[in-house]
Amino acid sequence: MAMAYAVKDDHAHDDHSHDPTGWRRYVYSTNHKDIGTMYLWFAIMAGVLGGFLSVLMRMELQQPGIQIFHGLAQMVYSLPDPATVTDPAKKLAYEQGLLDNGMQMYNVFVTAHGLIMIFFMVMPAMIGGFGNWFVPLMIGAPDMAFPRMNNISFWLLIPAFLLLMLSMFAEGPSGMYGVGGGWTIYPPLSSTAGTPGPAMDFAILSIHLAGASSILGAINFITTIFNMRAPGMTLHKMPLFVWSVLVTVFLLLLSLPVLAGAITMLLTDRNFGTSFFVPSKGGDPLLFQHLFWFFGHPEVYILILPGFGIISQVISTFSKKPVFGYLGMAYAMVAIGVVGFVVWAHHMYTVGLDADTQAYFVAATMIIAVPTGVKIFSWIATMWGGSIDFRAPMYWAIGFIFLFTVGGVTGVVLANAGVDRTLHHTYYVVAHFHYVLSLGAVFAIFAGWYYWFPKITGYMYSERIAKLHFWVTFIGVNIVFFPQHFLGLAGMPRRYADYPAAYEGWNRVSSYGSYISAVGVLIFLYGMVSAYLKKVKAPDNPWGVGATTLEWTLSSPPPFHQFSTLPVIK
Amino acid sequence: MAALPSKNLRVALIAAGVFVGMIGLSYAAVPFYKAFCKATGFGGTTQRAEKAPDKATDQFIMVRFDANTSSGLPWEFHPRQNVMKVKIGEQNMAYYDARNIGSNTNTGTAVFNVSPASAGAFFDKIQCFCFTKQTLKAGQAEELPVSFFVDPALLDDADARNIKEITLSYTFYPATDPAVQSKSVANSN
Ligand code: HEM
Ligand SMILES: [Cu+2]
Repeated sequence: MAMAYAVKDDHAHDDHSHDPTGWRRYVYSTNHKDIGTMYLWFAIMAGVLGGFLSVLMRMELQQPGIQIFHGLAQMVYSLPDPATVTDPAKKLAYEQGLLDNGMQMYNVFVTAHGLIMIFFMVMPAMIGGFGNWFVPLMIGAPDMAFPRMNNISFWLLIPAFLLLMLSMFAEGPSGMYGVGGGWTIYPPLSSTAGTPGPAMDFAILSIHLAGASSILGAINFITTIFNMRAPGMTLHKMPLFVWSVLVTVFLLLLSLPVLAGAITMLLTDRNFGTSFFVPSKGGDPLLFQHLFWFFGHPEVYILILPGFGIISQVISTFSKKPVFGYLGMAYAMVAIGVVGFVVWAHHMYTVGLDADTQAYFVAATMIIAVPTGVKIFSWIATMWGGSIDFRAPMYWAIGFIFLFTVGGVTGVVLANAGVDRTLHHTYYVVAHFHYVLSLGAVFAIFAGWYYWFPKITGYMYSERIAKLHFWVTFIGVNIVFFPQHFLGLAGMPRRYADYPAAYEGWNRVSSYGSYISAVGVLIFLYGMVSAYLKKVKAPDNPWGVGATTLEWTLSSPPPFHQFSTLPVIK
Repeated sequence: MAALPSKNLRVALIAAGVFVGMIGLSYAAVPFYKAFCKATGFGGTTQRAEKAPDKATDQFIMVRFDANTSSGLPWEFHPRQNVMKVKIGEQNMAYYDARNIGSNTNTGTAVFNVSPASAGAFFDKIQCFCFTKQTLKAGQAEELPVSFFVDPALLDDADARNIKEITLSYTFYPATDPAVQSKSVANSN
């Protein structure tokens, strides 16, 4: 797993002979590139685990009835096996108990899958991974502003993740395990009324730690981008990826505290007798939803904005043109960020808001489609007339534009309060957010991965494997999620382990798609391993004249310490 | 460049200040939200009034009565009338019956709202058993009155004027939940 840098063979930069080695290099690391690398490894690990959970969910949903989760629950939680019981009454009770535990376990998987993919896969990959690696390089800075804080940000993620894992095995509802309330953890299901056991408290603390990690990261990025740009690198000359990270970390700084506040209230309601969300004592569970989505909507943009940045770099590089409408692109992200704070109740159309309030949120939500459209059209305009080089990163970027647009369109459908009345909490919503996340955000991450892999590792990967990975994933995820639109329109609700037989057809198709996507993940891992084994040396700039940002002026991989004399940007 | 560390520290401190401020705001949202619900009747929060308006209108509206009891309270709790046809603006009296079927004395508080939610701003209570806690000895039965009126302003409200029926709902909870008894003193009203 060694990520070799050119430390040893690049003597021009090797005047720091005390560069750390071995485990110390990583555990004590204050180097933005090493920390970025650890974030990327962590994200891959979490993504594989989160994906594994989702494939098990799809196996369950392949047919109506409970297929695997009662067995899984029995195995994992070592519940008594009804087959060994002879007393018929007892046997029935055991079977029912297994079924209940199985269905709870399915919901625990839904919850863990969502939390893992959001907090431990997409965010660490985009912000912690690519952000750490390339923000300092792109603005010509020697490192992040607070290298030690950077180290803490990363290491906070580990206990956060462990707490989430722990919650899956701790008691949740009485006699059952884990948190089954979904990543949105609405009370009263998440209060002592619904989940009295400690599983919920572990999950809350996990989110606290992950949030603390993100906040420290956000402060670090803001300081770095404001203060450490090389001479001449004005804000309006910054690469769009840096802009995207800047907007993202501002969203984090403003929205995460509200989530922290909400879950702290939940925690004190649960453990210290406060009554923020307890109706019997004058609280209101709806308040939690308002607070959650005041965070939650900006959060979904936090997940996609750095992806926008990556796509801009990739499209411009392989079209060999500067991005069309640079300033418009930068300020479109700012606009998305700002408007994103005043649309939260589009997640809450069914809670009983009055008609005027709904009308406002419909209008505000639709306005977001404008800057988003600006971005999509600018990417297309960038490609227009360019001499496009169809390398692997470009495949992923074009795939991103296509899939993200599909998700954007269903988003505008859902923005209509009247339509959403029937579609809320159905698979239509699941299809929507997976088109923008597991197809949009993930494709952006892979675009970035194949774009920067040679820079990060110093090795070239096999273009053939990268493209195969693209096609298998593209086909797989579309088969998973496109039919979910039909299921949603037909009224199938989300977050249930079982469904009426009428929904079987498209569910089966969707499940097959998830197996294809899983093969895609294996191809990805294979391609990575083979790149490490083959060790085909990457040039400093493998992409040619289109790659104009500063990281391509450095060696591949870059020296342990770069820019000891600051570059001057003209 | 010598000033960089202090410049960095300044930006970081400002950012940390924003973070703390936002946490503060999320807590400030709690009283704000309560005041907002009270003022606007949001979510079916009912109003409290001293007395009914001087003259009633000649328009009628149906008021339905609903009663629920938390599983933690061994009480029977029912409305005496399921529905009343009332004049908008006129003061009315409705009764609920509660009986303690447990073997201990218990105290309960009733939580209430009306639906549709947009009627909340126009449903005014003058007297209600829900304003105070109720204590019942084992086996004791009690008549619980509520006097209310529907505000004539309802007829001028774009959202609410088409409402033909308002449901007033109560849920009785134990006032001293044994699990949180020792901790809930601060919230006991
Ligand atoms: C191809 C891989 C994936 C498959 C097969 C998959 C499948 C699923 C399934 C079956 C659910 C549960 C829906 C329900 O029961 O209501 C779900 C929920 C969810 N997924 Fe995925 N997913 C995948 C990738 C992703 C990725 C990459 C992300 C994040 C970027 C993601 C984010 C979410 C979220 C946020 C939820 C909602 C959780 C909740 O509301 O409780 N998924 N996914
Ligand atoms: Cu949203």
